[in-house]
Amino acid sequence: MQRRMTWKEFCFVLPLLLLVMVFSLYPILSSFVYTLFDYQTNNQSKNALYTGATLNAALYAEDCDYLVHYLKKDVDAVAEADKPTLQVLMDTLNVQKTLYAVGDTKRALNAGTGGEIAGLIAQTRQTVQSLAAKYPDLRIVQKGPTLLDEMETCLVKSNFVGLQNYQRLLQDSRFGQAIGSTVEFTLISVALELVLGMALALIMDKAIRGIGLVRTTALIPWAIPTAVSALIWCYLYDGSSGVVAVAFTRLGLIPSPEALLTTAAGTMFSAILADVWKTTPYMALLLLAGLQVIDRGLYESSAIDGAGARRTFTGITLPLLKPSMLVALLFRTLDAFRVYDLIAVLTKGTPETLSIYAYKMMIGQSNYGYGSVIVVAMFALVALIAFVYVKILGAELIRE
Amino acid sequence: MKKMLAVLLTVALVISSAAALAEPVTVKFAAQADPTPATQAVVDAFNASQADYKVEWVDMSNDSGAMREQLTTSLKAGSTEYDVISMDVVWAGEFAASGFIQPLDMMLEDAGLNTADFNAGSMASGLYNGKEYVLPFFPDLGLLYFRKDIVSEEDAAKLVAGTYTLDELLAMAEKYMGQGGTTTGIVFQSSLYEGLICNANEFTANWKDIKGGLEMMKKFTTSKAVPQNILNYTEGETANSFIKGESVFARNWPYMWGSIKSDGTIKNDQVAVAPLPGGSTVGGWLLGINKNSANADGAFAFIKFLNSEEGQVIMSEKGGYLPGLNKMLTDERIIKSDERLGMVGFQNALKTTIARPVSAEYSKVSDALQQAIYPYLSGSAEIDPTVTAVEAALAQ
Repeated sequence: MQRRMTWKEFCFVLPLLLLVMVFSLYPILSSFVYTLFDYQTNNQSKNALYTGATLNAALYAEDCDYLVHYLKKDVDAVAEADKPTLQVLMDTLNVQKTLYAVGDTKRALNAGTGGEIAGLIAQTRQTVQSLAAKYPDLRIVQKGPTLLDEMETCLVKSNFVGLQNYQRLLQDSRFGQAIGSTVEFTLISVALELVLGMALALIMDKAIRGIGLVRTTALIPWAIPTAVSALIWCYLYDGSSGVVAVAFTRLGLIPSPEALLTTAAGTMFSAILADVWKTTPYMALLLLAGLQVIDRGLYESSAIDGAGARRTFTGITLPLLKPSMLVALLFRTLDAFRVYDLIAVLTKGTPETLSIYAYKMMIGQSNYGYGSVIVVAMFALVALIAFVYVKILGAELIRE
Repeated sequence: MKKMLAVLLTVALVISSAAALAEPVTVKFAAQADPTPATQAVVDAFNASQADYKVEWVDMSNDSGAMREQLTTSLKAGSTEYDVISMDVVWAGEFAASGFIQPLDMMLEDAGLNTADFNAGSMASGLYNGKEYVLPFFPDLGLLYFRKDIVSEEDAAKLVAGTYTLDELLAMAEKYMGQGGTTTGIVFQSSLYEGLICNANEFTANWKDIKGGLEMMKKFTTSKAVPQNILNYTEGETANSFIKGESVFARNWPYMWGSIKSDGTIKNDQVAVAPLPGGSTVGGWLLGINKNSANADGAFAFIKFLNSEEGQVIMSEKGGYLPGLNKMLTDERIIKSDERLGMVGFQNALKTTIARPVSAEYSKVSDALQQAIYPYLSGSAEIDPTVTAVEAALAQ
């Protein structure tokens, strides 16, 4: 029976809660918030979360400065009658420039100011157009229109898009393909790791001389950082000098040595092989821990009852190992599902798994809004996997 | 009284000398490792030339993709860790649109520099919304190499002058193919990668005549004057074919001149270069200034120095880099250190440089163009939908 926490106890837990909030809940929540915006860092009208009309003051002032700069010289080039027009325009723009050049680079706009600025841009455009026929060589005529176009982009509108990014996700065939590759990678590599890891664990569980050495050496692949082991495999798979690539070609498994790192099937195979090599020892270690807690007396009794090795394995080892096996599978499935570093180093991004796709969207294309949607979708899928393992397969895991 | 005066004088002297000895402002320069000593030499020369600024070279990843990510991550956060930023020509549009780098027009004007004084293609690559954001670091450009020992003098003169058409070039390739031990007429890059865009840019004369240019490109790729697997050709295959004396014509970058020298079965005196009829696509690198830099003046001073006569001579002599400052193309010191510039055809090519599309999302544009053009060349798409797709990609 659990009792209620007292205030004093709560005070002791509070720092932990705060840490969790700052370092765990806050980033997750901001990812969720990003998904609701068309947030792209390579576009100055979308490079933040704009909820209302905003002025890109820095760029606006810069553009005003450019126009003023061009007008200064142009004033001398026009007829006396046109000088006042240019002078007035120049003064107006100069006021705007001094108004917005200092202070916040981004400012919230009320409808009035926004309208004024839009009106000023339109008016300037008209003046420039009226000058164009008479003085085609003026700098303001030649450069003005492009600058005015840019000034219009300074009036930033809200980039809140609601659930549009999610809608796009549902129609994104590349996302579907990414799920496909991720699932394929996860299923095959985890299945192979389970079988090989089990075999390795059974060997390491035997109390024979020199087993310590076997256990230590078996763990080496897992101890190597993934980026380093991926680089090692990269050399082995290399089309022109890689040992593995050449051996496979001689054996007739692949048409040419380059196939391992350049074809779709080749990269999937290469990634799975490298992953299995690296994480089988980890699987074996988790299973070994499970094997060691099985009461040795059970094996003795079954031997006395005349059970063979196979019967002992299916009747005693497997059922008693099930909790450890489920924990190991859960860990490995989630790990494999989120695979990024191995593929990023090995092939720079093929097969395109979910993590790779999210990375390409966010960092490669600077699209944080849509990239976050992919991340959130991954988050949901990972939660689903964990749920399936815990609820359906491993009810006994948390029964105790 | 006298003593006091002496003390005061001493104090004043100490203070003033301390001011004179003030530490120079450090300007951080983000660039990849240079296999030649040129970049370091320029930095050293700049630091020695004045006392106000000291440029410090920050090594960036040699993998260009990784370097771009390193830069965007830093600049996006408004960091000031780099002042001068070196960029691949195709990044400038994105960096300018993102507000990562600052326009240089005012500084150029104050310094009495004119954008027309610098390599046109490089400058066009850094022109965004009417503002100029860059100066060249070093330009690179597409060239037509040809075998002057095979091509007739009359044709050679026409090629070097750049007064030929692509139809005439194809006819020449077909005519001379087989002579002098060659097996193919012409090789260029048309595999599915960035090189395809560089070549298509030249065929379409900077996307002015998309339909005509692409049809011409297809005429080339389906001609008997090109290797059967021309659609797999990148720079490597092109150079391999030409320097082994297998082809009469080749479109490639200036580096192939050196490859002929070091690995060629043909000799450099058998080869000449010519401008391309539609213009030469510019490659190479640009220099810009971080928008948030606290030392923009120092950064500009360095960029200006690199693009001055002195800087350009160092870049050429120490690294064999092409000058981005136009008047240096005919400078004796540079022609002496770079024999390529002594060729009339090379000089002509430098006058007709064109940029690839300048876009905030260049990689996306390039990808869309590749996906539109390659199927047409390989025969799985018709010209009209291809042109529509190319136009859509360019409008992005």
